[in-house]
Amino acid sequence: MANHSATHPKHVHHHFVDSNQQFESAKLGMWVFLVNEILFFGGLFCAYIVFRAWYPELFTQAALELNTFWGAVNTVVLIGSSLTVAMAIRSAQNNQKRGLEINLLITILLACVFLVIKYFEYEHKLHLGIAPGSFWNPTPEIAAVLDHPKANIFFGIYYMMTAVHGLHVIIGIALMIWLYLRARKGHFNSEYYTPVEITGLYWHLVDLIWIFLFPLLYLIE
Amino acid sequence: MMSEHHGHHIASAKQLWGIGIALLILTVLTVTVAGLGLPSPFDILTAMAIALTKAFLVAAFFMGLYWDTKFNSMLLIGALAFFILMVSITLLDTLYRDDIVPSF
Repeated sequence: MANHSATHPKHVHHHFVDSNQQFESAKLGMWVFLVNEILFFGGLFCAYIVFRAWYPELFTQAALELNTFWGAVNTVVLIGSSLTVAMAIRSAQNNQKRGLEINLLITILLACVFLVIKYFEYEHKLHLGIAPGSFWNPTPEIAAVLDHPKANIFFGIYYMMTAVHGLHVIIGIALMIWLYLRARKGHFNSEYYTPVEITGLYWHLVDLIWIFLFPLLYLIE
Repeated sequence: MMSEHHGHHIASAKQLWGIGIALLILTVLTVTVAGLGLPSPFDILTAMAIALTKAFLVAAFFMGLYWDTKFNSMLLIGALAFFILMVSITLLDTLYRDDIVPSF
């Protein structure tokens, strides 16, 4: 065992040849998980495509109820958070503990801003009775402009896609808080920052999904 | 920059900010183009072209695929290929129905 600790850094597990192989394996594992995530969201995008092909006029009509401005603000917020995550990884690679902490904190803050905006969007719609599926119960003013018989289907797709995406944002915040606490204890440096790297990959995927959700849901009037 | 122990690429702050700003510009562009009200197939085509460009920038530089082993890029491309396959086979059914399922 003495020989082991003399030749391997502490963070390297026994079954890896070296630190780099362990890092690359973790990253490969994360990419396989992201493949699964893409196909998971892919099912929802597939539903979107099928229903848009069936009812093109519904989508252009119903999208008018979505607020393009706040959708665009949330796009900018998520792009900003992707940038700060990339900067956090860069800080870890350069042994900048303070930079890592600050970038993680900004990321958490931006993710919270995203959720707050999303909350107000949901709250506004539900207040008007714009709810998914069988909960569809619009006010007379909304029913007058949005009289499509399948309007509830569009919002079923809207709520499902954005809520599952929002759930990913919440999980992302939890992971970033975990990273921040570990960063404060000095767990990460240029030799070992695997959790920062693979959480970063996850967070960029959440941003990628939104990059497609924004034009597909908000920009089709 | 390569560290002596292993080949992790460290993107420069300038590069990362450049990608971030490019993504912001593309976001403004897609909102502007949507406001023009292009005729039917072209609005969705431009929106998707811009979204794919943004996705490429995020995957290549924020996710580091540009500097990474090609195997990880292959996984991403494979996922997209299977997504396209899933959509294509589904559309072969749904686009050619005489009646859309009434309860749908």
